[in-house]
Amino acid sequence: MQIKVENLKYTYSPKTPFEKVALDDISFTINDGDTIGIIGSTGSGKSTLCQHFNALIRISHGKIYVGEWELHAKKLNLGALRQAVGMLFQYPEYQLFADTVKEDVAFGPINFGKSKEDADILARYALELVGLDYDEIKDKSPFELSGGQKRRTAIAGIIASRPEVLVLDEPTAGLDPQGKKEILDLVTELKKSYVKTVIMISHNMDEIAEYCNRVIVLNDSKLLYDTTPRELFSDKEKLSLTGLEVPHAVRVKNLLEARGIVLQGTPLTSKEFVELFKGGAPCAK
Amino acid sequence: MREVSFGQYYPSGSKVHALDARVKLLLTIAFIVMVFLVKSLYAYIAVAAFILLVTLVSRVPVLKVLKSIKAIIFIVIIMSLINLFANAEGKVLWSWWILTISEGGIITAINLALRLIFLVMGTSLLTYTTTPMELTDGMESLMYPLKLIKVPTHDIAIIMSIALRFIPILMEEVDKIMMAQKARGACFDRGGVLKRAKALLPVLIPLFVSAFRRADELALALDARCYNATPNRTKYKQAKLGWGDLVATLVTGVFITLVVAVNNNFWGLY
Ligand SMILES: Nc1ncnc2c1ncn2[C@@H]1O[C@H](COP(=O)(O)OP(=O)(O)OP(=O)(O)O)[C@@H](O)[C@H]1O
Ligand SMILES: [Mg+2]
Repeated sequence: MQIKVENLKYTYSPKTPFEKVALDDISFTINDGDTIGIIGSTGSGKSTLCQHFNALIRISHGKIYVGEWELHAKKLNLGALRQAVGMLFQYPEYQLFADTVKEDVAFGPINFGKSKEDADILARYALELVGLDYDEIKDKSPFELSGGQKRRTAIAGIIASRPEVLVLDEPTAGLDPQGKKEILDLVTELKKSYVKTVIMISHNMDEIAEYCNRVIVLNDSKLLYDTTPRELFSDKEKLSLTGLEVPHAVRVKNLLEARGIVLQGTPLTSKEFVELFKGGAPCAK
Repeated sequence: MREVSFGQYYPSGSKVHALDARVKLLLTIAFIVMVFLVKSLYAYIAVAAFILLVTLVSRVPVLKVLKSIKAIIFIVIIMSLINLFANAEGKVLWSWWILTISEGGIITAINLALRLIFLVMGTSLLTYTTTPMELTDGMESLMYPLKLIKVPTHDIAIIMSIALRFIPILMEEVDKIMMAQKARGACFDRGGVLKRAKALLPVLIPLFVSAFRRADELALALDARCYNATPNRTKYKQAKLGWGDLVATLVTGVFITLVVAVNNNFWGLY
């Protein structure tokens, strides 16, 4: 599903002293199959932008097309849209509520009109996909799980509805490095099945560099760049404008450069860096 | 600054906003007492003029002050109706079955409605122009005499300010949780009362969990910083009386005298 954003503007509490322009004239297109990163400093409007994609925020100015849906239209089938565009909020474990894990995960599918049996099947499938032992966990209360398990349960609650587009608002915030990697690998895994497009907000440039094929940079509620991670991170001028960090691999490369060891190209991951450093030659045993 | 947007605080930086919260509290109390003493139409006009004056000086949009009535309009209507039928003094104008409308009924009904409306407008002017924090600090300061008889006024004040501080946080939380559940297809505005109430469970449960978690964290944080409500704590923001407070008190005083005079037909207007 292609997502097309045209001249999107959004203001919180308009016409009051608390008025705050959160998005200012944003236009870009997300193609089918993209894993797109949305980055920018705190308060730049990333979450606000993403909450538009499944009409949690209704458009006040501008247009958004999500596949067949026109989100700026007056009448909109919210159910179908929200089923197709799954959205994971920051700290999703705070949305758990049901008596059992199974019920919580089945909440989405049931809301989207699935029968109880189908919802249970979908819940089982989703829980197994996120790496939880269904039979062990299904009757537990979500509140007695560990932090990581809660996060996985919440993610299962989104993917159980089988969305085509997955919007993730800082999915790895507050997790340890291992947990981060597991979540992102899961996203990669999902992209091989029914999830076609992933939109991911992150403050972690290593994640963006490794997993995204495109990035959107927001700055002070405006769209600053729409480019690829390699291009963005190889352009020092662009980066200095945004005050963004660079991935570790790029940082090491830049440090080496400052000491006279110039490497050609921009390594995005540690693996790429090693390869580049060795002159592109495969590792010799 | 989303924190202060709670309640009704409407920052415009006017002279009224700059007044000492204690003065505003006392003047509001005086105003309320006065409103309950008023009984003549002319006096009501004077009260309305006073409210308008304060509103203009405070630069809070007049419409906003008027809107504050919306919240109590039902109470006003119901109370007026009860009074309308309950009071049967004076000439009977209309009667049917057990219902009678008399002159006395109409007068008490109008009196009551106007009183309630002015009451709400006056107090909402207070909350429009004073932050919740200033209000609690002001109340604590005004409760000083109670301290002498060992009422823990500071504890009361800190409880109040924590509660007030948490309302916007929890409202934001409600917002977030509702959005998260909507993203999973929850629908809060469909079906009958029972269905709607049930639809709120997925919001209320995470909300309570998070409220308790926050309370725990706050208690820990207070402990970790050795917080205790010792006597003689100093304040970050020292409230000081200024000339503006004197002027406001004088204006209100003059005005109250005026209303009382009009109310008692001092000049023989009617
Ligand atoms: N419900 C709201 N009411 C009023 N203002 C809001 C609301 N939500 C966000 N804002 C404001 O809009 C701006 C953009 O917020 P947004 O949450 O989209 O930023 P963000 O880029 O996601 O930041 P972060 O990286 O901290 O999550 C901020 O200045 C914020 O204060
Ligand atoms: Mg955000």
